Amino acid sequence: MAEHTPLFMIENLHAGIEGKEILRGVNLVIERGEIHALMGPNGSGKSTLAYVIAGHPNYEVYEGRILYKGENVLELPADERARMGMFLAFQYPTAIPGVTMANFLRLAVNAVRKARSGEDKALTPREFRRLLREKLEMLRIDETFASRYLNEGFSGGEKKRAEILQMAMLEPEFAVLDETDSGLDIDALRTVADGVNQLFNPNMALLVITHYQRILNYLRPHYVHVMLDGKITISGGPELAEELEQKGYDWVKTQHVGTAS
Amino acid sequence: MSTRVIEQTRGFSREAAVELSHLLGEPEWLRQRRLAAWEVYERTPMPSRTDEEWRRTDIRRLPLDAVWPYTGLGQRVNSPEALPTALVEILGDAALRSGLLVQVDGSGVYTQLDSELARRGVIFTDLLTAAREVPKLVQQFFMTEAVTIQDNKFAALHGAFWSSGTFLYVPAGVEIALPLRSFVWAETPGAAIFAHTLVLAEPGANVVLIDTWASPTVEEPLIASNVVELIVQESAQVRYIQLQDWGRSVWNFTTQRGLLYQDAILNTLNVSLGSRLSKAFIASNLVGPGATAEMLGLYFADDAQHLDHQTRQWHVAPYATSDLLYKGALKDRARTVFSGLIKVFPQAQRTDAYQANRNLILSSTARADTIPNLEIGANDVRCTHGATVGQVEEEYIFYLMSRGISRPEAVRLIVDGFFDEVIERVPVHEVQETVRTAIARKIGL
Repeated sequence: MAEHTPLFMIENLHAGIEGKEILRGVNLVIERGEIHALMGPNGSGKSTLAYVIAGHPNYEVYEGRILYKGENVLELPADERARMGMFLAFQYPTAIPGVTMANFLRLAVNAVRKARSGEDKALTPREFRRLLREKLEMLRIDETFASRYLNEGFSGGEKKRAEILQMAMLEPEFAVLDETDSGLDIDALRTVADGVNQLFNPNMALLVITHYQRILNYLRPHYVHVMLDGKITISGGPELAEELEQKGYDWVKTQHVGTAS
Repeated sequence: MSTRVIEQTRGFSREAAVELSHLLGEPEWLRQRRLAAWEVYERTPMPSRTDEEWRRTDIRRLPLDAVWPYTGLGQRVNSPEALPTALVEILGDAALRSGLLVQVDGSGVYTQLDSELARRGVIFTDLLTAAREVPKLVQQFFMTEAVTIQDNKFAALHGAFWSSGTFLYVPAGVEIALPLRSFVWAETPGAAIFAHTLVLAEPGANVVLIDTWASPTVEEPLIASNVVELIVQESAQVRYIQLQDWGRSVWNFTTQRGLLYQDAILNTLNVSLGSRLSKAFIASNLVGPGATAEMLGLYFADDAQHLDHQTRQWHVAPYATSDLLYKGALKDRARTVFSGLIKVFPQAQRTDAYQANRNLILSSTARADTIPNLEIGANDVRCTHGATVGQVEEEYIFYLMSRGISRPEAVRLIVDGFFDEVIERVPVHEVQETVRTAIARKIGL
């Protein structure tokens, strides 16, 4: 029997920034059709992990591998990872003056589609507009969004919705949502979560990074991991998130110290 | 298309100016002005780097003695198709303009104007023809009000050696919907170029003029010494767009001034893409109360280009507004200089003036200098200015790359976005397209 290749796998990842190690041996396996939640207190390394997965050039990898569809992506620049079907919804999306959402999305969608279909097949302007309109409707985003400059002057909620819109347009197979719930009121959170749920399918996987349990009421994870000091210290089912909500991260710390000693 | 080459010697001299006047068969008053300009030129010292205005732009190697002072006399053509091929390619869509004037090597060679506009008294022709047909207008406004031979040494040289120009007169109350287009094309190697544009918009008139200056790149150096005069009378509105795309051996000097009378509106866009070195003096004089000047600039320097813009917002009258935004990108070993001055005279109360210069550096060997200045003589005014020099943000690039866009494409998108703020403010679609294409060409993608 051929060996099974998980969609996404992290092996003993050590990484940091400016010589300072933040991730100290992360291991994680994610299969298609799964939603994983990564929880942890501020400063535990969650966002660093997101950036390392996406390929931010400022982060250094000291050891370990990140395998996507069996290929180690650590040597690949961010654009190649995206063209392979990986996606990161940023906690703090960058605003780029003068670049309209529509122009940006057209370039991105065509770049990703071409790479994944393996042929030189750009969407016609008309096909693109139809696709964009469909996704805007799905996420209940106003059409004027497309002509606005990328994230410029967007409210917190608009930025998060714009990230999910990009995810909807690019149809990734593996997406990381980094604190997509932060800064959203309950209505906005519900809209964003509904959008993600509509996009989710058994062929893809999600890694939902969050500080709070709140978003997990809408995006029901199959697995929950807790990160402390750059390591995943506890993993469990959805009940772990509720337990955390009640007992707080200090509880994990004592547990962790307990098991380690 | 042919050009009759004239026997002459290289370099500028009084004799050459006299000879040119003779060749053009111009009236005595023009000849007198030409010689007066030569005298001013002769007694004005050549700018050097000890002059504040020229401190950052070195013209010690300006080949004044190596150029032909004027070119041949271009022959008129009957249709634009008979023009040089490279020029025909940039003429644009005939359906999008209401007039076309083409000058090749210092001569007007083609003129076309919507007949209805001609019937209403609009004059759009080359300057020599205008001097012959409407001498009073030319006598009154040519280098007398907006730009004079006293302005600087190159304006004086221009006054002595101009041989053609774009003359646009819009009578009171006439509003012209579609733009007029003027092309100045130079292709004689080693020849001097003297582009001149004189716009006179009478009270209540409204017009858009797109001026394109271009030449193929040749080995021999060329000198272009240009003057642009924009006279906008009471409540008139002029939009003037200049695309400077000279070949890379051109030393370009431009003196441009808008004169704005009461409640006049002048919108200018100066796009600088070509030349080897360029020094452009661009001014708006707000002499009438309530006048509004919008001054936009866009430059993109590459290779070893040196582009210097010196702008002036001259607030003479009260209640006037000026809004300047110049944006530039640089790559390779290019260098740009921007120095801008808002000057508010004591009587110009309630002035509202704004000035911004933004530079985007795309290589570590390029250098942009920006020097904003305010000189405020009135006490009830609002004046603000800002200047920045920055590089493409790595965070922008990463964000775009994280969506599958390659690095060069990401840079192109960011540079386009940077210029978009200027381009979007010029609601002339054909110009927007031309500029965007030129930017893409400059980025090299």
